[in-house]
Amino acid sequence: MPPRSSSSQRVRIPRLPIALLRMVLPRAARDEIVGDIVGECREIAAEQGERAARRWIWGQTIGSIRALLPWTLWREGTGFEPIANAYRPGGPVLKHVFTDARYAVRRLRARPTYALLSILTLALGIGGTAAVFAIARPVLFEPLPYANERAVAAFWMDFSWNEQEFAYLRDRFPGFRSVAMYTHRALTMQGSGESTRLVSGVAASAELFDVLGTRPALGHTFRPGDDAPGAEPVTILSHGLWMELGGDTAVIGSRLLLNGEPRTVIGVMPRGFWFPSPDVRAWVPHPINPEGRNGSYALVGLVLPGKDPDQMAPDVAQLVTMLKERFTYAVQWDKTKNATVQSIREQLVGSMRPALMASMVAMALILLIACMNVTALMLGQVEARASELAVRAALGANRQRLTQPLLVEALLIGLAAAVGGAAFAVGGFRMLAEALPIGAWAENAQLDWTLFAAALALAVGAALLIVLIPSAPFWRSDAYGSVQAMLSRLRTGGVRGGGMRAERALVVVQMATAMIIASSATLLVRSVANLYEISPGIDTQGIAVIDASAVPTVPAATRNAMVEQAVAALGVMPGVEHAAAAMRLPLRGNSNSTGITIVGRENEQSTTTFFRIGTLDYFATMGIRLRDGRLFDTSDQPGGELAVVVNHSLANTYFPGEDPIGRLIGGMYARPQRIIGVVDDVIEGQLRTGAAPARYYLWSQVEGGFGVGASFVIRASRGTSAEALLESARQTLAREAPAFAVRGTTTMARVMDEAVGPARQVMSLLAVLSALALTLGAVGIYGVMAHFATRRKRDWAIRVALGLSGSRVVGHILSQGATLVVIGVIVGAGATLAVSRLLQSFLFGVTGTDPVAFGGATLALLVTGLLASFIPARRAGQVDPAMVLREET
Amino acid sequence: MNTASLVPLGVLEEQILLAVLRTGDEAFGMAVRREIKRVTGRDLAIGAVYSTLDRLEAKGALVSRRIVEGGVSRRRFAVARAGARALADTRAMRERLWNGVELKWSGAG
Repeated sequence: MPPRSSSSQRVRIPRLPIALLRMVLPRAARDEIVGDIVGECREIAAEQGERAARRWIWGQTIGSIRALLPWTLWREGTGFEPIANAYRPGGPVLKHVFTDARYAVRRLRARPTYALLSILTLALGIGGTAAVFAIARPVLFEPLPYANERAVAAFWMDFSWNEQEFAYLRDRFPGFRSVAMYTHRALTMQGSGESTRLVSGVAASAELFDVLGTRPALGHTFRPGDDAPGAEPVTILSHGLWMELGGDTAVIGSRLLLNGEPRTVIGVMPRGFWFPSPDVRAWVPHPINPEGRNGSYALVGLVLPGKDPDQMAPDVAQLVTMLKERFTYAVQWDKTKNATVQSIREQLVGSMRPALMASMVAMALILLIACMNVTALMLGQVEARASELAVRAALGANRQRLTQPLLVEALLIGLAAAVGGAAFAVGGFRMLAEALPIGAWAENAQLDWTLFAAALALAVGAALLIVLIPSAPFWRSDAYGSVQAMLSRLRTGGVRGGGMRAERALVVVQMATAMIIASSATLLVRSVANLYEISPGIDTQGIAVIDASAVPTVPAATRNAMVEQAVAALGVMPGVEHAAAAMRLPLRGNSNSTGITIVGRENEQSTTTFFRIGTLDYFATMGIRLRDGRLFDTSDQPGGELAVVVNHSLANTYFPGEDPIGRLIGGMYARPQRIIGVVDDVIEGQLRTGAAPARYYLWSQVEGGFGVGASFVIRASRGTSAEALLESARQTLAREAPAFAVRGTTTMARVMDEAVGPARQVMSLLAVLSALALTLGAVGIYGVMAHFATRRKRDWAIRVALGLSGSRVVGHILSQGATLVVIGVIVGAGATLAVSRLLQSFLFGVTGTDPVAFGGATLALLVTGLLASFIPARRAGQVDPAMVLREET
Repeated sequence: MNTASLVPLGVLEEQILLAVLRTGDEAFGMAVRREIKRVTGRDLAIGAVYSTLDRLEAKGALVSRRIVEGGVSRRRFAVARAGARALADTRAMRERLWNGVELKWSGAG
């Protein structure tokens, strides 16, 4: 007996089990079974009460799910459908998917050009986007490895604070629970029996780890008092350095020779921890000198509970008042101006965001162009299959069934592209990571599951996007009618001329997208060219650079003797013209400036200039030209008066209309300092800010100045490359100056590249991408124009038979192509203006609306578009009407 | 589908085939479930009954067709020739095994 609702009383049927049942039941049987279950449930409720009915229905549901799940899987696998259900909705879909997949594979194999083109273009887009995403993810989207991330703020005037200010403000920063001071410090590390090497480290006040809120993996972090003068020297290691040292937990309490001083290891940070950048491998407390006035520290602070690091203006204002009361500042170091704090995330990774976002957007645009190419190709395919689709629709295929083969085909292409794209991405991952301006993060970029997950997600997304337009006709009110309409449109061919609207729109969007990339690239090319146009004042070609640091416990006299010896030995190496050492090289950012006074004009307001220290041949090695007076020579002996060489800009600023040669200056050293020569301006600081007053001292006279760093520069003789010298120079240095550990080797040309900054790297990437975008755009235009020409073949054949000249046909198709390109260019130019904000930080000497950049990109697109349309146009122009008209009916 | 894979029938399969025969013209899914409960006391989950009915149909032991009654479309089952033979063979197999068996047991109890 089928159960009937025999009870008239209302029984509440629990909804959840019914919903679960509906989910697992085959669609054809769903209503019937659920109806029966509800009926029986009512009966049980009437006989035994609602509780029993509820227990029963849950028992039914759980038992049914257990039985139905494997059954449903089996049905999907075998495609079994009872005859009684054949004309009901639902039924296993997987079997049709397999059928469609087999069919799609056959179709793709029959059209290898279409398949390869689609897969390759998509693979490039997918691979690029996935790789940039994988590289950018840790920087842009991952939380920083600090428990207090949301409550940590970084202070303004990074690396310009001094110990005096910190000691004064410590424990009374308004609005902060705790503030730490830190600075970068290269540490020489001497292990037992191995050579001295350099690790990048950070010297900080004891609060650092409490501010960040990160717990160590082993041991403990700094304790209050660790940064007191005379405290026992300790250090904390990064996970990476600890692993390199053997990864033994017994490391806690052991001693390491850092900067020549034994330090007790008190902690090891967890894997993945970094501060303030991933290349830092050790942290040491810095003994705070309350009188220290060397402004090279940065501050980070933990805000009081309930405060937001981005909204600290009132507290900062109070802090500024405290600073004003206690300190007086020279104009350029005035900390009471532009005072602000920002979140730690903004401070540490914020500067990388524009470059990463620009790269990611560019990659995504490439992917979009690729998707449109495949869409256009697929549109053509759908039209070619119109008769087949019409037959299917006539036999009762519904819209899902008509869409499914397209979707399956797109998914197949997408998956193949994901595999290809992942392969591209894995192959080019290192290259791409290096190409992105993300500094130490590039070395830390790991190839992980994100890349593959992203590739897969992008492929599926791309496939869905691709079928959107070709399948749209099926989803209009009546699938059968739309297919019929498509068919009749095709039959009439050229007569009604319309149609192809979707394809034309695709080409316009493709061109617009290509325009965005190409015009951005040209903008950056112009900016970077402008930057390279700036003459740095040195000859950057042919100079090898070795950056080294000495162990600070080695006495200064020994260090200097080693530097002199090493320079002499480097100078006589084969292929070397000159060699020198300098305290700091040009183009490496603002630093090392000090006050200057002019003897005889002491009452003037004190100002500062850059100061640099070099060995005898420094100017010759760097190619800095003498303008007036003389350069250093052997007559400048240690002791007595200091010889000073100044640059043109200093001479102009401090001695306008006078001869600076022979004048005495003060500042920096107590000894008398006499100007002996004037050299050309060299950009000592930042390329964008240009030359500034600078003065140069002789290494042997000032005993290397201060600090333990030295950069050895070697000018290669004609016919020798600077790179080729690096290895032997490194060996010479290790032999002659064993107290120095090499921090890195490079060339002056690369230093210049670095000075040009992220704009250069983003430019290279965009240049490659715009070439790709143009190629893909050309493929797109070619495809659509070829299709257009084929569709109207009969139309033209009739006209040519009636006397139309072939060149008119060519002209017609070319003008069609050009129209699409022009519309695309206009749309793209508008879009570029909207997105050029992303590029703003890279632009130099050009505005976001630079006509040259836009003109160049437009020209490139027009030429590409016309070339791409020319091939199908010419083919159409050569058509023989008799052949075409006989071809088909 | 051949009947070879049907013999011997599983206990559930056998019970369901018999219940289909017993309910005759009323062999809808829920009625089959109720018949088994009434006769054997086994309260089967409807999902288990349906999946077994489907599986038996896939093996050719059953056929089903749709009956529309009062606007409700239901699937009614009937035993196919292969199903009937499978029932008979399963029963014969069991009887051959029982033949001459005397119930004895050893151990405690």
